[in-house]
Amino acid sequence: MGPRRTAALLVGVMTLVVCRSLVVPARAAAPAASGTIRGRVVLQSPSLQFAPRSIVSEVGMGALRSPVDRRSVVYLDPAPRAAFDTRDEPQARMDQRNETFVPHVLAIMAGTTVDFPNSDHTYHNVFSLSKTRSFDLGRYAVGRSKAIRFDRPGIVRVFCDIHSHMSAFILVFAHRYFAVTDEEGRYRIDSVPPGTYTVMTWNESTPLDSQRVAVPETGGEVEHNVTLGRR
Amino acid sequence: MLSCVALASRAGAQVLPENPVRSADGRLVVSAEVVGTFGSQDQTAFFNYTDYEHNALRMLRLGTSGVWRPISWLALAAEVRSEDLEHPRVYAAYARIRPWRDRGFDIDVGRIPPTFGSFSRQAYTTTNPVIGYPLAYQYLTSLRTVAVPARADDVLRMRARGWRSSFPVGAPTPGPGVPLVSGFRWDTGIRVGWKGGPVQVTGAVTNGTLSNPRVSDDNAGKQLSARIAISPATGLVVGLSGAEGAWLARSVPTSGASQQRALGADVEYSRDHWIVRAELVFSRWSLPLPLAPSNVQSLNALGRWVEGRYRLTPRIFVAGRADRLGFSELLGSAPGSVALPWDAPVTRFEAGAGCYLQRNLVARATVQTNRRAGGRVRERTFLSAQLAYWF
Repeated sequence: MGPRRTAALLVGVMTLVVCRSLVVPARAAAPAASGTIRGRVVLQSPSLQFAPRSIVSEVGMGALRSPVDRRSVVYLDPAPRAAFDTRDEPQARMDQRNETFVPHVLAIMAGTTVDFPNSDHTYHNVFSLSKTRSFDLGRYAVGRSKAIRFDRPGIVRVFCDIHSHMSAFILVFAHRYFAVTDEEGRYRIDSVPPGTYTVMTWNESTPLDSQRVAVPETGGEVEHNVTLGRR
Repeated sequence: MLSCVALASRAGAQVLPENPVRSADGRLVVSAEVVGTFGSQDQTAFFNYTDYEHNALRMLRLGTSGVWRPISWLALAAEVRSEDLEHPRVYAAYARIRPWRDRGFDIDVGRIPPTFGSFSRQAYTTTNPVIGYPLAYQYLTSLRTVAVPARADDVLRMRARGWRSSFPVGAPTPGPGVPLVSGFRWDTGIRVGWKGGPVQVTGAVTNGTLSNPRVSDDNAGKQLSARIAISPATGLVVGLSGAEGAWLARSVPTSGASQQRALGADVEYSRDHWIVRAELVFSRWSLPLPLAPSNVQSLNALGRWVEGRYRLTPRIFVAGRADRLGFSELLGSAPGSVALPWDAPVTRFEAGAGCYLQRNLVARATVQTNRRAGGRVRERTFLSAQLAYWF
C-alpha cells in the first residue's frame, strides 16, 4: 500500500467517523440532578384590611371585613432555560365570593386563561387597568362566569367596578419557576436545575426582595427564608 | 422577563393613594374627594347655579368623609365639603343604629341620607354619569321659602329668574329660588330603613323639605318622606317615593300650612357595560295666598330625565343625559293674556366621554345644551371638563 493509498484510506475512515457522528447521536450525558428551593416568607407589617370607601349614603352595618389573605409570590430570576419549553394552555380561577376575590393573589404562566365566576349574591364587574392586561368584563350576574387569557408576563391588578373594596393581584410569568406561599408563608419550587439564581419575593405590601441562591450540581433541597418588612 | 415583571409592577402601581385611611382595626375609615370642574362662566343665564349659588359646571369641590363603627350596632358617619374654597359645610352627620344584628333594619339620626328619589344618593363623581346635575335636583325655580307672590303676575314676572327672585310678601331682598329637590344638601331628622331580599323600604321625618333641607326647623312643620325600592331581577331597581312637608319659613307672614308635596319614580338597569337610569319628580307647592285672577293656590313642576353610561374600553366611557323640567300653567291678569307655565320650562342635553387615568382618578369632558322657553337668555351651550380624584 503506497503512501497515497494510505492517505486516501485515512481520509475515508475519518470521513466515515465524522459522518457517523453526525447521523448517530452520541450517548446522552447523565442528567444533572434537579433541586428544590423551599422556605418561608415572614411578613413583619400588619395585615391589610381593605375597607370600602366611606360613602356616607351607603354606610354598611355588616361584620367588619376580615384581613386579606396576604400571600407572597416567590420566583426565580433568571429562570432556567428549560423553563420556557412548556406548551401548556392551562386554566386558572379567581372566584368572587362575599364581595372578595378568591384567591387574593394568583400566580400563573403566560398563556393561562383565568375564569372569573360570580359566586356571590350580587352583581360584579371585574376589570383591570394594568398595562400587562387591561380588560373589563362588564356586569354579570350570580352563577355566570367570564374568562380572560393572560399572554404577557407582568402584574395585573384586578378590581370590581361596583365594590371599591374588592381587589386582587394576578402575577403572570413566562416560566414555571414560581410559587405562591401558603397561609403560613411556606413555599416550594421544584425541579430547579443546578445553578445560581436570584430568588425574588413579591408581596403587595412590601418592596420586592431579591437574594442569590445556589442549587448544587447534586440537587437536593435548598432552604431560603425571607423576612419582608413594611413598605 | 423579571425586568418585565418589575416594570409592570411599577407601572401597575398607582401614583396616587387609592385606599381610604383605616384605623382602629378598620373601625374608622376616612375618605376624601377632590373634584375640579372647569367650564365657561354663566353670569347671565344661570342654568347650572345651585342653591348654594355656585356654578355646578365651574367648581372646585373638596370633601372628606369618615365612618366610625365603635361597636357592631352603631356607626357614626360624617361628610364635610367645601365648594370653591369657601367655608366647609357639614354635608352629612348622622348616627346609624342597627338594633337587631341579623335584620336589615337601621335607624339614622342626624343630617341623614335622602329618602326621596334616586339621584340624591348618586350625586357622587363615581355614580353621576355626566358632570351636570339633573334639572329637578339643581335648577333654581323662582319660588322662595322666605317670600311669596300675592298675585299670578308676581309669579309670571319672575319666570326664568330663579337665580335672583323676589316676591312682594315676605323678605324684600331678592335671592335665589329653590329647586324641586336639593341635590347639594341633606336634611336633618330621623330615618328608618329596612331591607329584606329584593325590597328596600325607607321612611323619614325631617326638619326641612325636599326643596329646602335644613339643619334647624324654620317653620315647626316636619316633612314626612318615604321610598320603596324593588329589585325584581339582578341589575334592575324600581323605586317609588313620596314626600310632604311645610316649606315656607315662619318669617313669611301668611305661611300657614303651605306644603310641598312630591312624588317620584325611578328605574335603573345595568348589564354588561351599560347602565341606564330614568327618574321622574313631580312637586306641588301650595301657597298661602290664592293667586288672582284664577285663584290658583298651588304651583306644580315636573322633572324627568334619562341618563346612561357605556364603557367602551376598561378606561374610556361615554355618557349622556336628556332632561326636561316643566311647570303648570298660570293665567296673568292682563287683558287677553294666555296661560303660561309659571316658570320657564327648560330642556337640557348633556353628553360626553371620560377616561380613568387610574382607578380613582377620572378625567371627563361634556357638552351641555340648555333651552329655556322664557327669560332674557334662552339658549346656552357649555363645554366643561372635570378632573376627579378620590380615595
